[in-house]
Amino acid sequence: MKKNVITFIVAGVLLVIFVLLLFTYQVRQSEVVVVSTFLKPTDTQTEPGLKFKLPWPIQSINRFDQRVQTFEDKVSEPYLADQSILLLSVYVGWRISDAKAFFPKFPGGSVLDAQNKLENMLRSAKQAVVGRHNMSDFVNSDPTQVKFNEIEKEIKSAVDAELAQNNYGISIEFLGIKRIGLPESVTQSVFDRMKAERTKYITEAQSDGEAQSAKLKSAADRQAADLVADATADAMRIQGAGEAEAAKMLGVFQQNPGLAVFNLELEAMKSSMGQKTTLIFDETKPPFDIFRALPADNTSK
Amino acid sequence: MVKIKMDRSIQKNGLVNLTVALVIFLAGFALTAFAGSAAGQAASVFLGLGVLVTFISWFQMRLEENERLEKLELDELARSRGASLFEAKDAGSFPARNAREQFEKYFVPGFAVLLLLLEASGAWALWYWSGKNPAILKDASATAAGYTLAAGLLFLFGRFSVTMARIENHRLLRPGASFLLAGAYVCLFTALGIAGVKFKYPDADLWMARGLCALLGLMAVENLLTLLLEIYRPRIKGKVARPLYESRIAGLLAQPESLFTTAAQTLDYQFGFKVSETWFFQACKQNLPVLLLVQFAVLLLSTTVFFVDAGEQAVLEHYGKNAGVYGPGAHWKLPWPADQIYRFRTEQIQSFAIGYTPDAQSEAANIVLWTVPHNEENFLVGNRATARVADTGTNDVSAKPVGLITASIPVQFQITNITDWVYRNATPYELLTNLATAQVVHYFAGSDLNDVLSHGRLEAASALRDQIQAAANERQLGVKIVFVGLQDIHPPTGSDVAKTYENVVGAGQTRLAKILTAEAEAIRTNVMAGAQAFSITNVADANRVRVVTAAYARAALFTNQIPAYAAAPSVYRQRLYLQNFAAATKGARKYVLLVTNTQDVIIFDLEDKIRTDLENLTVTNSP
Repeated sequence: MKKNVITFIVAGVLLVIFVLLLFTYQVRQSEVVVVSTFLKPTDTQTEPGLKFKLPWPIQSINRFDQRVQTFEDKVSEPYLADQSILLLSVYVGWRISDAKAFFPKFPGGSVLDAQNKLENMLRSAKQAVVGRHNMSDFVNSDPTQVKFNEIEKEIKSAVDAELAQNNYGISIEFLGIKRIGLPESVTQSVFDRMKAERTKYITEAQSDGEAQSAKLKSAADRQAADLVADATADAMRIQGAGEAEAAKMLGVFQQNPGLAVFNLELEAMKSSMGQKTTLIFDETKPPFDIFRALPADNTSK
Repeated sequence: MVKIKMDRSIQKNGLVNLTVALVIFLAGFALTAFAGSAAGQAASVFLGLGVLVTFISWFQMRLEENERLEKLELDELARSRGASLFEAKDAGSFPARNAREQFEKYFVPGFAVLLLLLEASGAWALWYWSGKNPAILKDASATAAGYTLAAGLLFLFGRFSVTMARIENHRLLRPGASFLLAGAYVCLFTALGIAGVKFKYPDADLWMARGLCALLGLMAVENLLTLLLEIYRPRIKGKVARPLYESRIAGLLAQPESLFTTAAQTLDYQFGFKVSETWFFQACKQNLPVLLLVQFAVLLLSTTVFFVDAGEQAVLEHYGKNAGVYGPGAHWKLPWPADQIYRFRTEQIQSFAIGYTPDAQSEAANIVLWTVPHNEENFLVGNRATARVADTGTNDVSAKPVGLITASIPVQFQITNITDWVYRNATPYELLTNLATAQVVHYFAGSDLNDVLSHGRLEAASALRDQIQAAANERQLGVKIVFVGLQDIHPPTGSDVAKTYENVVGAGQTRLAKILTAEAEAIRTNVMAGAQAFSITNVADANRVRVVTAAYARAALFTNQIPAYAAAPSVYRQRLYLQNFAAATKGARKYVLLVTNTQDVIIFDLEDKIRTDLENLTVTNSP
C-alpha cells in the first residue's frame, strides 16, 4: 500500500511536470517569441513572463534574441576615388525588429543566416560608398578632415534603403568603421618610406654633429694660434728690451778694444769646442810649442 | 548431445551478433562520412568498439567449444580404452584447453588494454575534433532516419542476445549483446542530435557528440578500474571469470532497469561474497523511489536560495522577467525553473587589449622591445612630415601622407549598470571591444605619427578614454571605462622600421658625442696654447734678464782686467789664452804632430766606428 502511494506521488509529480512543459513556456526579458499554430506564425510575445500555449504539435514556439546583435564583416579591399587602395571592415549592431517577419525570411529563423545576408548587403554598400571618398577622408593628420562619421552614415543609409525594400524584420541600430589598413605590398612601401624619413634624420644628425665638431675645432685652433702669435710678439719685444739694456754696457769695452776682442775670441773658442771635437796641432802652436824645446828622445817617435 | 547443440547455438548467436555489429558499423560510418555529423563520428567509434568486442567474445566461445569437444572425446576414449592411458595431466594432452587458458591469460588482458587505449584516445580525439570543426550537416532528415533504423535493428538483435545471455553458460554472449543494445541507444541519441539540428538547435549534434565522448571516456575509466581491481580479486576455484573486456557501463546502458542487479553483481564479484544480500543494500533497493523523490525534493529546495559573492551582482528573473538586481549575500527565490539568476562580476576590473593577439611566448618575455615582434597590430596614422613633401598628384599610395604605428592598447572597464549590460546587447563584451577598436582606429587616423609617438601620447590616452566612454554610453552598455593605456605604442617592428627610429635616437647621441668631443679638444687646444704663450713670454723674459745680467757682469770683468792687462799685456794675454785653451779643449781629442821631416804625408782616419749592432743586422727579402 505504502509503495503504491509513493509510486502515485512520483507519477503525479512527473505528470505535473510533463503537463507544465506541454502547456507553458517562459519568455525572457531579452527574448521575443513567435508562436506558431500548425506551423503558421500566429502570435508574437515580447513581454517577459510565463505564457500559456496549446501543446505540440498544435502550437510551437520559436525564440529570438531581441537584444542588439553585433558582428564584424570581412575585411575588404575597396578602391578609393583617388585610386588608392584601403583595407576596411565595419561592425554592425542590428536587432530583430519584427520577429514575425524575420522568422519566415531565414531558414528556421537562423541569426547566422540573417547575418550572412546582411553582410552581403553591407559589403555592396561599403564598396559603393568608400569608392566615392579619397584616402585623405580616412587618414589625415588634420582630424577635422577625417570623415569617418559621414562615411558610416552613408553606408548605414545604403543598407537601410536595401532593407526597406523588403521587410526583413531587421533594423540596423548602428554601424562603425572598425579597421582600416593597407595591402601587404603597400604596407611594405610605407615601411620603406618611413625608414627613408628616419634615415634623413639620421644623416641630418650625423652631419650636424660633424659640422659642429669641425667648427669647434677650427675656432679652438684659431684661438690657440692667436695666443701663440701674441706671446711670440711679446717675447720678441722682451728680447729687444734686453738687448737694448745690454748694449748700454758696450761703452766699457771701448777702453781697450784689443782686449775686448781677444776676450770675445776666447769665448767663441770655448763655445765652439764640443765633446767630440778633434784637434790636430803641430809643435808650432802654443802650448804644444813646448815640445820643440825638449831634447831628442828615442821613445817619442 | 543437447549441450553440444546449445553450445553451437551460442556460437551461431555470437556470429549473428558479429555480423549485425559489423554491418551496422559500416553503414553508420558511411552515413557519418556522408552527413558530416559529429555525433555520428562518436557513434561510429562506439559501434567499431562493439565489433571488436563481439568478435573477441565469439572467438572465445569457439575456444571454449573446442575445449568441451576435446573433453568429450577424451572421456569417450577413456571409457573405451581404460583410464590409465589418460591419467597424464600435462599440457600437451589438452591442446584446446591449453589454447583457451593461454588466450584468457595473455590475449584477453592485452585486448582489454587495447580497448582502454582505443576508448581513451577516441574520446579525446572526438572531443577535440568536434570542438574544432563545427558540423555542417547534409541531408539531416535522411541521416536521422538511417540512424533510427540502425537503432531499431540493433535493439531487436541486442534484446534477443541479452535474453539469451541469461541462460547458463551463455555468459560470453553478454559483452557483445550489451554493446549491441547500448549501440541501439547510441544510434537513437545520434538520430535525436541530428534531428535537433534540423529543428533549429544547431548545437544539438555537437552536444550529443560531446555526450558520447564522455561515455567513451567513462568506459575507458571503467576499463582501467577493472584491470586494476582484477589484480586484487579473490580467485575462487570453480568461479568462472568475467571477461575483462565486458563493459558494465554498456550493460547498464543496455538494461537500465538492471541497475541494482548490475551493481550487486559487480560488488559480489569484486568482494567474493554476497554484498547484495546485506540489509543496507536491500533497504536501498526497496526504497529507491522514495530516495529518488527525496533527492528530487532536496534538489528543488536547494534552488530556492542563492548566494552572491563579493564583487558580484546577480540578476533575478521571475518567469523570464527581470525581478531585480541582488548584491553580495544570501537571498531567497522561487525554485527553478520559476526563478533563475544570472551572476556577473560587476566590481572586478575587466580588461581587453586592442591591437594585440595573445601569445604565450611573448607574454613570458620579461623585456618588451620595439625591435622584437610581440603580436601587435599596425594602425594607419596621418603623417604631417610626409604630407609636406608628398606628391598628391601621383597614384602611388605610398606617397600619401600616411604612416603606420604598432599599438597594443589595454582597456580596463567595470560594469556599472548590470541591467543595461545584460539586456541591451546580446554580446556586450564583443560590442565594447568593437566600439573601443573603432575609436582607436578613428583617433589614429586623425592624428600625426610623430605627435602620437611623442608628446601627444598622454593626451591621446585621455582623449581615447573619453571617446570610448562616450561611445559606450551612446550604446547604453552600462560600463565605466577605467583606463586606456598607450604604453605599448611604437613604430612597426616589420622591415626594421622601429630599428631606424632607434637609430635616429642613436644618431642624435652620436651628434652630441661628436660636439662634446670637439668641445673637449677645443678646450685642450686653447689651454695648451695659453700655456705655450706663457712659456714663450717667460723664456723671452728670462733671456732678457740673462742677456742684461751677462752684459753687466762682462763689463765688470773687463773693467777689472784692464789694470792686469796694462801691467803685462803679452803675459796676461798668453795666460788668458792658455787658461781658456786648456778649459775649452779639455774634452776634445787632440793630435799633436811632432815631425821633422816635412815631406811625409800623414793620413788620419777621423771616421766614427760603425755601431756593432748594425753589423749584425739581417736583411730579409720582402715578398
